[in-house]
Amino acid sequence: MLGIHPVAFWITVFIIAVLAITPLIFLALDKTGKLSPSLRTDLWTRYKSWVVLAPLMVAPLLIHRLTAIVGVGVLSLLCYREFSRATGLFRERAISAVVVLGILLVTFAEADHWYAFFVALSSLTISALVIVALFADQPKGYIQRVALGIFSFSLFGVCLGHFGYFANDKRGSAFLLSILLCVEMNDIFAYCSGKLFGRRKLAPQTSPNKTIGGAIGAAILTTALFATLIHFIAPGTAVDRPQHLIALGLLLSVTGQWGDLVMSSIKRDLGVKDLGVTIPGHGGLLDRFDSLIFVGPAMFHYIGYFLGVGLDQPVRVFTGN
Amino acid sequence: MDEWQYKPAGDHGLKPQESLRSLKRETGLVASVTQAAWRLAVRGYLRGYHRLRVDGREHLPAQAPFVMVANHTSHLDALTLASALPWRLRQSAFPIAAGDVFFETPAMMLFSAMMLNALPMWRKSCGPHAMKRLRERLIGDPAIYVLFPEGTRSRDGSLGRFKPGLGMLVAESSVPVVPCYLHGAFEACPPKGKMPLPLPIHLRIGPPLQFADVANERAGWQDIATRLETAVGALRERNTP
Repeated sequence: MLGIHPVAFWITVFIIAVLAITPLIFLALDKTGKLSPSLRTDLWTRYKSWVVLAPLMVAPLLIHRLTAIVGVGVLSLLCYREFSRATGLFRERAISAVVVLGILLVTFAEADHWYAFFVALSSLTISALVIVALFADQPKGYIQRVALGIFSFSLFGVCLGHFGYFANDKRGSAFLLSILLCVEMNDIFAYCSGKLFGRRKLAPQTSPNKTIGGAIGAAILTTALFATLIHFIAPGTAVDRPQHLIALGLLLSVTGQWGDLVMSSIKRDLGVKDLGVTIPGHGGLLDRFDSLIFVGPAMFHYIGYFLGVGLDQPVRVFTGN
Repeated sequence: MDEWQYKPAGDHGLKPQESLRSLKRETGLVASVTQAAWRLAVRGYLRGYHRLRVDGREHLPAQAPFVMVANHTSHLDALTLASALPWRLRQSAFPIAAGDVFFETPAMMLFSAMMLNALPMWRKSCGPHAMKRLRERLIGDPAIYVLFPEGTRSRDGSLGRFKPGLGMLVAESSVPVVPCYLHGAFEACPPKGKMPLPLPIHLRIGPPLQFADVANERAGWQDIATRLETAVGALRERNTP
């Protein structure tokens, strides 16, 4: 539409460079003999998955706002599929159909750039779920069915949907790529700082490998990275002030880590190790994208409050006259 | 307050290909739509092209579990039997199909799972373990199985010997087995033929048999096979036009 935003361009270059250099690092590590065979296989499986996943994530964001929106919609549907098959909600066909319809309509509202409808869909879909569940005339388990339906629509339809809406902004691709990059880096920072400084467990019952040191290290490093990126995406705007840049970075890091913990809680409650097998070496899509879920709304509304989202773009592209 | 019960899909944690050929595969929203569309198309085809006539629908049990068995002469057989089931039972119905034909290539697997809702039976290595799994699912789900105890399609249209394996599914259980006879399918779609011919097919459904008092061991299984073979054969005799 308007050409690739410079920040989006440089992030893409960075990702390609990382993917190109990683095998060399693996080979160098392998030469030193420090990699056990199982660790080596694991690293290569994960790397191969990233080689497939990274273009699938980045390309739709760069091509057009509609490809980005459809991409987010597909991700929402696949996440719902994993969640519903892990919880057993998929057996409730009517509820599943409403959740899927809700996600499709959210995607349409984004594509149409119709914010009022995007907002309305929360209450409308929730009402539809509560009502449709009546039709089976089986009160036993009613609350569980409805609650799981609302829970999954809220997480994968509403929360993830905010990423799609972001694409309507002229800086959308730059915001989205920065968020994606920082959320992934947030995980890596937490892992590395946890290895270096992690002593006290963060939430041993929920996720035994996470440490407070890791969380704090990630918060500091991610904030620095994200603040820098936002500074270049929206220079001289209302968010380009130190206090807002820091707040945005912290918010991204914290909501990212919470998303991770939320999915860990869900997995522990269900008693499953992974939510799916979609991505070799990572588990399901949800195991990979869990940290994104709450980052979307947090970033959208913080940035939206100061700058608006897509205010200078045509609205109601399909439904308007 | 009751504890919430989560029951992940039977095939949870399996890779896509393993899941398609798993005996624990469970239909999701997408497959339920493709299966319904396939069912409507097949019903239309059988009624229009083969003028399908079904007698004895009243013998079908009102709900799962039960097993439909029939003579096997063509690839239309499982489709015809499944299409005779009422709409509300469609999602419980699983044709039991030869693994080496229907679950060998990814494309066939996808078709068998997403359209037919078939479960695989591996003819070469069909041990008691697989039969036990099938039996558990039949009673536990509960499910409806459509199967052909001859084990393969008849090459000349005659009724072959019933294999005793079927007995492992129903011996010492109250699961009804519904004998059926398909008339005309061999002529309409012979094993060597390429295109199905527009000839009539007639499905006759007989009264169900139960085998609660038959021992779940080799002699019992053989007894069940013989009795069902007789029941299906009797439907053929009555069926001569």
